[in-house]
Amino acid sequence: MKIHNTIKSWQIVFLLTAFFANSAQLKLAAQSVKILSFEADVRPILKAACFHCHGEEKKKHGGLDVRLVHLMKTGGESGAAIVPEKPDQSLLWTQIVSDKMPDGPKKLTPSQKQIIREWIRQGAKTARPEPEDPDSIRFTEEELNHWAFKPIKKYSVPMPAGFEIRTPIDGFIANRLSKLGIEFSPPASRESLIRRITFDLIGLPPSPSEVEEFINDETPQAWSRLVDRLLDSPEFGVRWGRHWLDVAGYAESEGGSGNDIKRPHAWHFRNYVIQSFNQNKPIDQFIVEQIAGDELIDGSPDNKNPRHVELLTATGFMRMAPDSTQNDNSLENRNQAAADAIQVISSSMLGLTVGCAQCHDHKYDPIGIDDYYQFRAIFDPVFPLKKWQQPSSRLIDITSAEDQKKAEQIEKKAKKMDAEIQAKKNALAKIIQAAKVKDVPETVRDETLKAVLTPQQKQTDRQKELLDLYPMVKPISFIAGFLVEYDNAAHRDFEKQKEEVTKVRATKPPKKMLRIATEQPDIVPVSAVFFRGNPNSPGEKVQPKELTALTQANRKISIPINDKNLVTTGRRLAYAQHLTDGRHPLTARVFVNRVWKHHFGRGIVNTPGDFGINGDSPSHPKLLDWLANDFVEHGWNHKRLHRMILLSTVYQQSSKRNPTLNNLDPENRLFARYNLRRLEAEAVRDFILATTYNLNLNTGGPSVPVTTNGEGKVVIGIQKIRDGLAAGVSEQKAAALRRSAFVEVNRSLPLNILATFDLPEMTPNCDNRRETTVATQSLWFLNDDQIVQLTNQLSERLFMKYPDNNNQRLNTLFSRLYSTVPKPTEKNLISDFLKRQEEYFKADQNADWQKIIKKHPEAPKKRALAALAQVLMASNRFLYID
Amino acid sequence: MKTMLCSRRHMLHTSAFGLSSVAASWLLKRDGLLAEEAGIPVKPELEQKTYDLLPKQPHHNSKAKAMISMFMLGGPSQIDLFDPKPELIKHNGKSFTGDIKFDNPAQASREIMAPLWNFKPHGQCGMELSELVPHLGSIADDITLIRSMHTGANNHGPSNYALNTGKANSGRAVLGSWLTSALGSETQELPSYVALTDTRGLPLLGGENWSNGKLPSIYQGTVIRPVAPRIFNLDPPRHLKGDPQAEQLQLLSKLNQEYIREHPGENDLDARMQSYGLAARMQVAAREAFEISNESAATKKMYGIDQKVTRDYGTRCLIARRLVERGVRFVQIPCNGQVWDHHGSIKTALPQRCAEIDKPAAALVRDLKERGLLDSTIVHWGGEMGRLPVIQFRDGLTKRETVGRDHNTYGFSMWVAGGGFQKGYIHGQTDEFSHYAVDGIVHHYDWLATVLNQFGLDHKKLKFRVGPRDLRLVESPEARIATELLG
Repeated sequence: MKIHNTIKSWQIVFLLTAFFANSAQLKLAAQSVKILSFEADVRPILKAACFHCHGEEKKKHGGLDVRLVHLMKTGGESGAAIVPEKPDQSLLWTQIVSDKMPDGPKKLTPSQKQIIREWIRQGAKTARPEPEDPDSIRFTEEELNHWAFKPIKKYSVPMPAGFEIRTPIDGFIANRLSKLGIEFSPPASRESLIRRITFDLIGLPPSPSEVEEFINDETPQAWSRLVDRLLDSPEFGVRWGRHWLDVAGYAESEGGSGNDIKRPHAWHFRNYVIQSFNQNKPIDQFIVEQIAGDELIDGSPDNKNPRHVELLTATGFMRMAPDSTQNDNSLENRNQAAADAIQVISSSMLGLTVGCAQCHDHKYDPIGIDDYYQFRAIFDPVFPLKKWQQPSSRLIDITSAEDQKKAEQIEKKAKKMDAEIQAKKNALAKIIQAAKVKDVPETVRDETLKAVLTPQQKQTDRQKELLDLYPMVKPISFIAGFLVEYDNAAHRDFEKQKEEVTKVRATKPPKKMLRIATEQPDIVPVSAVFFRGNPNSPGEKVQPKELTALTQANRKISIPINDKNLVTTGRRLAYAQHLTDGRHPLTARVFVNRVWKHHFGRGIVNTPGDFGINGDSPSHPKLLDWLANDFVEHGWNHKRLHRMILLSTVYQQSSKRNPTLNNLDPENRLFARYNLRRLEAEAVRDFILATTYNLNLNTGGPSVPVTTNGEGKVVIGIQKIRDGLAAGVSEQKAAALRRSAFVEVNRSLPLNILATFDLPEMTPNCDNRRETTVATQSLWFLNDDQIVQLTNQLSERLFMKYPDNNNQRLNTLFSRLYSTVPKPTEKNLISDFLKRQEEYFKADQNADWQKIIKKHPEAPKKRALAALAQVLMASNRFLYID
Repeated sequence: MKTMLCSRRHMLHTSAFGLSSVAASWLLKRDGLLAEEAGIPVKPELEQKTYDLLPKQPHHNSKAKAMISMFMLGGPSQIDLFDPKPELIKHNGKSFTGDIKFDNPAQASREIMAPLWNFKPHGQCGMELSELVPHLGSIADDITLIRSMHTGANNHGPSNYALNTGKANSGRAVLGSWLTSALGSETQELPSYVALTDTRGLPLLGGENWSNGKLPSIYQGTVIRPVAPRIFNLDPPRHLKGDPQAEQLQLLSKLNQEYIREHPGENDLDARMQSYGLAARMQVAAREAFEISNESAATKKMYGIDQKVTRDYGTRCLIARRLVERGVRFVQIPCNGQVWDHHGSIKTALPQRCAEIDKPAAALVRDLKERGLLDSTIVHWGGEMGRLPVIQFRDGLTKRETVGRDHNTYGFSMWVAGGGFQKGYIHGQTDEFSHYAVDGIVHHYDWLATVLNQFGLDHKKLKFRVGPRDLRLVESPEARIATELLG
C-alpha cells in the first residue's frame, strides 16, 4: 500500500485502517489490478441494497431486475442498467453515484460505489455463465462456499525456526509472522503477567502476596502453576460464566415492552453456568444440556432428583430472551419472544445472524426465509404460538416436601394472625361507622344507618339517594379497608401488627422454583413460513431442519417430527447432538473463537456472533480450525483449551506497540503482541471492592437486589414501601459487596456504576461488548460518593496496618492497585502531592472537620492518602490491563 | 438485522439508566466527539442505531424552542385561584345535589364552599383572578388561562402520568424526554433536560417525573439538586473542592502521561485523558449556569430572591431562565411532595403556597419577555388536578377551621405563556359549580399534542420503536391540537 509511505502519526494509521476495515475494500486498495466479478464483488453489494425492490419482490420496481448481469444489460423501463466498460453511460452507476438509489436513507459507501464502477469499467464480468432464470440461483457458489460453512479441516502444526514455540498456537501465529519477517514481542514483565492472567481468569486483581510469590518463583513451572491455581479457583467460573451469560442473554427481568417484570428465579441458571465452568463440564455436554436438558431425562422428570434438576435448570438458557407475554399475551408478543430466543440460540451456538432471515432472505448469507422457519421449527414445540404459556405458568416447583410442609404450617399461623387483625379492624370500623352516622341529621339518621347496612344490590332508590347525600357513611368493610383516612393512628398501628405477620411469613423456607424450557405433552405445533415475518400470515408449511448452508458435503441430519420414544418431540435432542457431533462446521469454531477473544481482547474472527459473509474473516483460519479440531478431539475440554492458550508464548508477549509493527498491523490481527485491555464494567467494580479490602466472595443464591433511589439512581437495595409509595431504600450490608456477577441483572435497572462502565444491555443477548470512553466515567472516579467512601476506608486500613510507615503504606497501596511498587520518580511526585493535600485539608475550616482533626490529628494525612488512592484508581494504569 | 455490539449507549429501550444520578447523561453524546478529539475514527456500524443530543429538525416549522414547566403537584384549587363562580357564592353552605366524584369518602360532605378569596379582573383582557395571585394578574395580558382541563384520572399519580406521559400508567416517558429525543439540545455542555428540585425534597413519584420510560436513557431528565452537589458526580465532594481536586487532576495527568509514554500509540488512553478535560469543562459550564450572583439586584428582587418566602422558588425560576438562555430544551421546576393537595386547612395553606410561587412565576414570564425569549419559550404553570366545590371535613364536622377540598380531575385550570400561545386569553369553561369541564375541554392528550405542535412536532408522527411496536407520547386517536389556544 502506497499510503503507508506517508504515514506521519499513529492517528493516521488508525484512520486508514478503519476506512478500509472491510476486507473486500482492503483487497481493492491493495491490488488495483484485481479482476472483479459480479458474483464475488458486486452481487453482495446489490443483494444487500437493491435486491429487495429490484428482484425479490414479485413486481420489480421500474421493471428492473438486478439479480443477474444479463438482466441488467437488458434493463427495465428506463433502458439498460449497465453498459459494459462505460460506467458513465450506465444507469446503475449514475443512479448510485448521485445517491438517487438506493431509495431511503441508507446509501452506498464511496468504496462500494468504486467497486461497482471499476467492475463496469472492466467489462461487467461474471465468474461463470449465468442462467436465464434469476430464481434458479437463489444463492451463488461464492455464498455457499463461504469458509465458515465448510467442514473444519485438519492441519499440522507449523514449526517455523527462530521462534519460541511453547504450544501449537505459537506455531501457527509464528508461521504468519516469519513470512512477514516479524518476531514475537518480548515477554511482558512478571508484574504485568500476573495482573493480566488473574484479571483474565478470575476477573480480580492478584493480591500483593500472590504477586510476590510469583515474582520470586524462578522455577520454569512458575507460570503453569499460576495458570493451574487460577483455573482451579472457584472465581474462575464466576468470571467465565459471566462471559457465557452475555451470550445466553442472562437477565432477571422479562424486558420487552410494558412493565419490566422481575424473574426472581432466573439465578438458578446463573449458578448452573458458573458451576458447569468450575466443574470443567465438557462443552458438548454443556451445549446439549442447555438446548435439550429436558429431553435427556428418561421418562418424566423427578423434581427431587438432583441430576434432573440440573438438566432442567440448564434449559433456562432458552428462557433468557425478553418475553412480554406476561404483560400482554398477544400473538405479536409471543412471536417476538420466540424470535428473540431463536436469536439467542443461533448467535450463541452457530455464530450466525439467522434472525435476519425472519422477514425476508438474509441480506448477506445464504439463509432463506424458509431456512429460518425450518430452523425455528426445531424449537417450535418449546415456543408453540398457539398453545403459549406465560412465564409465570412455566415455572416448576422443586421445593422439598419437608420445606413445603413447614411453609404450610407457618402460613396457617400467619393466616390466623391476619384474621385477628381483620377482626380488630372491623370492630373499629363499626365504631367509626356509628360516629359517622351521627353526622347525619336526626330526621334521617336511622334510615341512613339501615341503608348502609343493607347489601348494595338490595338497596332501594331512597336508600341509595341517602348514601349519596351523606358520602361519609360507608359500609364497615369499606371503612376497614380505608382506615388510613378514617383513623390514621389506628391504621399505623395495624400496619405494625401486619409487619409482625410479614416477619412470620418470612420464616417460611423459600420456595424453589425453576424457569425451564420444555414441551407440553402432545403438543406438536405445525410450523410455517410467516410472510414478511408476520405471525398472522402463515404460508408454506415447513419441517424442522438444519440451515441448508450448513448441510453441505452430505451432512444430512434427520430431526424427528415427533419421536415416539420420548415424552417430548425429540427435535432439540437430535439437533443438539448434531451440533456437538464434532463435524458441525460452526459449533466448535465459534466456541473456541470466543475463548480466544476473551483471552486476547480480539477474536481470530473478530465478530464472534457473525461468522457469516458480512462478518470478519479469520485472521488465522488454520489456527482456528486446528483449535476447533483439537478441542473436539480432546473431549471439548474447556480448561485444557485455556491452558494451551495461556501457556503459549503468544499470550505472554508484551502489549507494547512498536512503530514497525504498528505500521504493518495497527489492529494487531497478527497477534504479534498482547492487546491493552480496559476492565469491563463488572471488573471495574470488583477490582475496586477487592483493592479496598471490601470484596465479599460469597457465591451462589439469589442475586443482590437493585432498585432506584428517590432521584432515579439505580442502587443496590430493596425499595421500602409505605402506603403504596416509595419510602427509601433498605441497604444490603455485606451482600452489597458481592461480586458484580451476583448483582441482579435487571434490564430496566442497571446498577449505576456498571451502566457507567458499559454494562451491555441484553436485547436479547450480547455477542461482543463495546467500550466507551466518556466523561461520565471520569466524573464517577473524581466525584462519586462511593469511590470517595471506599478510598477513605482503604486509607484507614493502611494507616491501621502501618501506623508509622508512610513508605510501606505507599508500597502496599501500589501493589494492591497495580501489582507493583512505585518507582522513585513516582514516589517523589506522590510525596509532594500528599504534603500539599495534607496542608489543604488541615486548612479546611469546616467546623465538623475541625472537630475531627482535634480528636484525630492524623485525619488530614489519612484524607490525603485517600485522595491519592482515588487518583491512582482513576488512572489508566488501574483501568487497563497491559 | 441484529447488531453485533452491545452497548447501552447505542441500543434502544429500557428505562432508568440511572444517569439522572450520574446525572451527566448528556455527556454520553460525547462518545463520538471524544473519539474524534483523540483522532480515533468513529467506526461505521452496520445498521446500528445511535442516539445523541445534537440538534435535530422538527417535522414542521416550530414556534417554541424550549419549555419551562412549573408543575404544581397536589392540585391547586381552581375555585379559589382561577375559576370564579357566582353560583358557588349563592349556594354557599347548601347541599350540592349534582353528581360528584370523591377521592376520600371518609371525610366527604356535600356542603358547598364558596371561594374563600375575592376575584377581580386584571389587564386589558380583564382576566378574573383571585387576590391570592396578584403577580399573575400583572402578566394577565401575556398568558392563556385554560379553565377546562380534564384528565379523569382521579388521583395524583395517575393524573400526573396522564399529563406528563400521555396515559395514566407508570413506566412511560415524559414530555421532556420525548422533546429531547426528537429535537436534541441546543447546548452540548449542559444537560438537555433538567429538573430543578425543591430544597424541601422531591416531588411525589420522584424520578418518575423525569423518566425516560423506554426511550434511551440519555433522554432522562437530569436532577439539579438545590444544594451541592447540584448534579450528582459533577461537583466534587465538599472537601475536595478547589485546590485538592485541581491537584488530583494534575497528578492524574502526570501519571497518565507516563502510562501513555510506556504504551505509545494507544488512542484509547489519550481519549481517556481528554475525557477528564471535558469533564472539567462541563463542571465549569454547569457552575456558571447555576451561579446567579452576577444577576442584577433588580432582577433578583423581581424574582423575590431578596425575600425568604420566595427565595427558593425565585432562585429556581431565575436559574431556569439562565438554562433556557444557554440552550437547554426542557426545564421542570416542581414543588416538593404534593404541596398543593389541600384536603385540609386550605384557608391557611393555599395562601402560603401562593406567596411562595406567584411572584417568581410571574417574574419568569416578564423576564423572558424582556429578553425576547418568551416567544420561543413555552412557560407552563399548573398541577395534575383541581379541587371540588364542596367541603372536605378533615377533622370532623365540628372543626370548620381545618376544612379543605378533595380532588377534582374533571375540570381544573392551568396557565401557559409564550411559545406561540395566545396572550390575554381565557379558554374553556367548567359547569356553574366548577366541577366538570363543559366547554372547550382540553384533555391531557390534547394538551401534549398542542405542545408538540408548537415545537414543530406532529403527535401522530412522533414515535419510537421498541421491540415489535412503536411507542408514542400521544396515543389517543381522539387527541387534537387545541388551535384555539394558539395565537
